[in-house]
Amino acid sequence: MSFQIPIGPQHPALKEPISLRMTVEGEVITDVDMRLGYNHRGMEKLAEEKSWLQNIYVTERICGICSHSHATCYVQGVEKLMELAPPRRGLYIRYLVAELERVHSHLLWLGVAGHEAGFDSFFMYTWRDREIVMDLLEMISGNRVHYAINTLGGVRRDIDEGQKAKILEGVATLRKRSEYYFYIGANEPSFVARIAGVGYLSKESAIALCAVGPVARASGVARDVRKDDPCAVYGELDFEVATADTCDVLGRVVVRVKELLESYKLIEQMVKGLPAGDIAVKAPRKAKPGEVVSRYEAPRGENIHYIKANGTDKPERLKVRAPTLANYPATVEMLRKGFIADIPLIFAAIDPCICCAERTVTLVAAGSGEESVVRMSDLRRQALARHQNAPVKRNAVWPL
Amino acid sequence: MAVVRTLLYLVVYPGLLFLFVYSTFCEWFDRKVYARLQNRMGPTHTGRFGLLQPIADFFKLMAKEDIVPEAADKRLFSILPVVGLAVVATAGLLLPVWNFDLANPGLTSFSGDIIVVLYLLSLPTLILFLAAWASTNPFATIGGARVLTMFFGYEVPLFLAVLSPAILADSWRLAEIAAFYQAKPLLLLTNLLGFIVAVIAVQAKLERTPFDIPHAETEIVGGTFTEYSGKKLALFRLTFDIELVVSSGLLAAVFLGGFPGGAVVGFLHFVVKTLFVIFLLSLLRALTSRIRIDQVVSFAWKYLAPLAVLQLLVTILLKGLLS
Amino acid sequence: MKLAVFLPELLRHLFKKPATVDYPFKKLAVPADFRGTPYLSPEMCIVCRACERDCPAEAIEISSVNEAEKRFKMIIHNDRCIHCAQCVDSCPTTPKAMKMDSLFELADDDRHKLKKDWVYVRAVLKPKAAAPATPPPAAEPKA
Repeated sequence: MSFQIPIGPQHPALKEPISLRMTVEGEVITDVDMRLGYNHRGMEKLAEEKSWLQNIYVTERICGICSHSHATCYVQGVEKLMELAPPRRGLYIRYLVAELERVHSHLLWLGVAGHEAGFDSFFMYTWRDREIVMDLLEMISGNRVHYAINTLGGVRRDIDEGQKAKILEGVATLRKRSEYYFYIGANEPSFVARIAGVGYLSKESAIALCAVGPVARASGVARDVRKDDPCAVYGELDFEVATADTCDVLGRVVVRVKELLESYKLIEQMVKGLPAGDIAVKAPRKAKPGEVVSRYEAPRGENIHYIKANGTDKPERLKVRAPTLANYPATVEMLRKGFIADIPLIFAAIDPCICCAERTVTLVAAGSGEESVVRMSDLRRQALARHQNAPVKRNAVWPL
Repeated sequence: MAVVRTLLYLVVYPGLLFLFVYSTFCEWFDRKVYARLQNRMGPTHTGRFGLLQPIADFFKLMAKEDIVPEAADKRLFSILPVVGLAVVATAGLLLPVWNFDLANPGLTSFSGDIIVVLYLLSLPTLILFLAAWASTNPFATIGGARVLTMFFGYEVPLFLAVLSPAILADSWRLAEIAAFYQAKPLLLLTNLLGFIVAVIAVQAKLERTPFDIPHAETEIVGGTFTEYSGKKLALFRLTFDIELVVSSGLLAAVFLGGFPGGAVVGFLHFVVKTLFVIFLLSLLRALTSRIRIDQVVSFAWKYLAPLAVLQLLVTILLKGLLS
Repeated sequence: MKLAVFLPELLRHLFKKPATVDYPFKKLAVPADFRGTPYLSPEMCIVCRACERDCPAEAIEISSVNEAEKRFKMIIHNDRCIHCAQCVDSCPTTPKAMKMDSLFELADDDRHKLKKDWVYVRAVLKPKAAAPATPPPAAEPKA
C-alpha cells in the first residue's frame, strides 16, 4: 500500500517551515517532493532600501545560526566595491569570530543530530558545552547570536589580553569535549546503527548535484572556499580540509567533528598571532558603480553574495545564495529509498537553514496547477473565505 | 470485613487511588533521574522538588479541549483510553503486595495470575494499535503499524524471561514464586540473564527510548497519539504511568524476591524495588538513541530471544539439578 | 562494538549540580561590554542625528519640540531596536551621548510601553571638549 505522508510545513522534526511530501510504501520512501516558500521575508528587497552600513545588520539577520557568515560575506564584497583594505588586526578578529561561530554551529548541529535520532542525552551534553563558545562570543562581541562585530573596513571591537587568555582556555576545554563526543558518536551502538549507511550520496552525484559544505566533504569532495579561494587571512594559516568517504550521515558527523578540531587549531593560531595595529579604517558612505561576487565558507557550506552598486549610498541589488539552497537537490537524492525513520536524520544532516534559502513565493492553484499573482489583501480575503466555506472532508487526500 | 477489605483493595490500595498517586510519583522519579543523568534539573517548582508536576500535567490535560477527528471511528476512539486504563489498573490489583493468603488462593492471587498479568499487560499494545487505526491519521496509522511490528519482537522474549523463574519455583502464582525465592534468595542470581532480557523487553513495551518508535516525535509527530487530546490523552498518559508501575512491580515480584513482611514492610519492599527497576529503565532511556523498527525486530530475535531461551535452558537444567 | 559508552559520563553527573540555571530566580551576570538597551545622556547630545540616520531598524526618532529654545525630543522604540549598538558607534561626541546598558529583560505586554523618550535642550560642545559647555540643562526623562 502506497500513501503520502506530509512532513511539514509544521512538523516536530523541522524547526522552520518547509514541506516534504513523502510517498511511502510501508516504511520505505519511494518518492520525495519538496516545496519551499513558506517563510519568505523579502530580505533582498529590504536591502535595496537600506544604506551600505545598515545592510550589515540586515544581512546578519538572514540567519540566526550563521549570522556572522552572511555579514562577513556581504562586508567582504562591499569592501571590494569601495576599495577598502581593512587592517590585518581587524581581519584576524573578524575571522576569529567566524571560526568561533563555526564551532558553535557545529556543536549545535551535533546536538540536533542526537535529538533527531532520539539520543537526547547526547543533545543535552553537546548543548551544555556549546555554552562555553557562546559565552566567548558574548564576551568578544557583546551578544550571543547577532555578534554585529563587522563593519565596513574592519571590525567594531578589539580584543584585550584577558579575553585572549579566556578564548585559549575555552578552546582547550572544548577540544577535549569534542574529542569525547567524537568517541561517543562513533561508538554508541544504537546511535551508529541509526546513522551508518543512511542517506547515501555518492561522490559523483555530490558533484553533479552541486552539494556544498560538509555534505560534499562527507562524500569525498574536498571543496572548501577557505582553501580553494583563500580570502584575507586563511592563506596565512595552517589547517586542513576535513573529508570523509563514507558518503552517509555518519560521514557528515565525522566531517563536522573534524572541522571542529580544525577550527580550534585556527582559533589558537589567530589568537596567538594577532597582529598589532588598528582594527578598522574609515569607510565612505557611497560606493562607485560596479558589481562584485563574494564567497565565504559558512558552517553549512559555500555562501555567495552578489552585490551591485550604482553610485549611491544604497546597493542596487543584493542577491544571497545560502548554502542550504545548494544542498536541496542532494537531499532529495539522499531521501529516496530511505526509511521514514531516517527522514529527520537525513534532512538534519544537511544542517538546513530553511528561512535563509527562501527567496520567492509562488501561488499555485491546487486544482489546476495554475500560477497567479494577487495582492496581499486579496490573498487574505481568499484565505478567510476558504476557511469559512471549507466543507469537512472525509478521507481527505493531501492536496499539493 | 472481607467485603470492606476487598472494596478498599479495589479503590484505595492498591486500587485506583494508590495507583494514580504512586504512578505519578514514579513518573516524577523517572523524569528527575533522567534529567539528572543529563545534568539538568527536571521538575522543580510544582510542589516540593516538583513532586506534583505529573499530577499538574494530568489535570492540565483534563481541562484541555478534547477534539475527536471528523473522520475517526468516534465510539472506538473515545472508549479505548478508558479500556486501556481499566486493563492496566486491573493488572495492578494482581501484584502480590498486600491482600493475599499464601495457603488460600483468592480473587487477587490465584494459580496462573502471572499469566493473567502478562496478558493484561499485552492488551494496551492492542488498544494502542486500535486507537491509532481508529483515528485515521497517516502518522497515527504508521504509528499503529509500528506498535504491532514491535509487539512481535519483544513479547516472546518477555514471556520466556518472566516465565522461567516461575518454572524454577514450580508455580504459576506470583505470591508463591515470590515466597519460593524469599526462602532461597541465592537462586535469584541464576535469573540475572532473564532479568536483563525482561528489563529491555519492558522498556520496549512501555515504548521508551530506544524503543519509542511508535510515537517518535521527530519522525511521525505524535505517532499513535497524534489525534488524541484533552482527557483522552491524559488517560493514555496515565495508562502508561500505571503500566510502568505494574511492569516494574511484576519484575520486582518475579526477579527481585517479591515483597515480604506484611502490609508495611512489604509496601516498603514494593517501593524500593519498583524504584530500582524504574531507575534501570531511566538509565537505559538516557543511554541510547532511538533505533529503527527493522532494527528492533532483528535485535529482539537475534539477541533477546536467544538469551531468553538460554535462561530457560539454565532454569530447566538447574531444576533437574535441584530435584 | 562497545556497549553503553555513555554510561560513565551519565552516572558521574547523577549526583552533580545541574548545569542549568534556575532562570527567573537566579540570573547569570552579563559580560562587561554587553549590548543591552540603548539610552541617551541628553546633556551630551548635539542633535547631529547620526544615530537616527544609521539605525538599521529605524528605532530612533528625533523631533523638534521648540525651534527657538532648541528643545528636541528623542524617542527610542525599544520594540524595534535590534541592539546592534550602531547608534553608539555613530555618535560623534566624547563621551558618547548614546550608550548601551546591560538590561536585557525588556518584555512587556504592549509594544508601546517599550518606548522611551527624552526631551532636552541641544548641548553646545566646545570642539574636542570632554565636558558640556553649559551645565546640564533641564533633562526630563519620562518613562
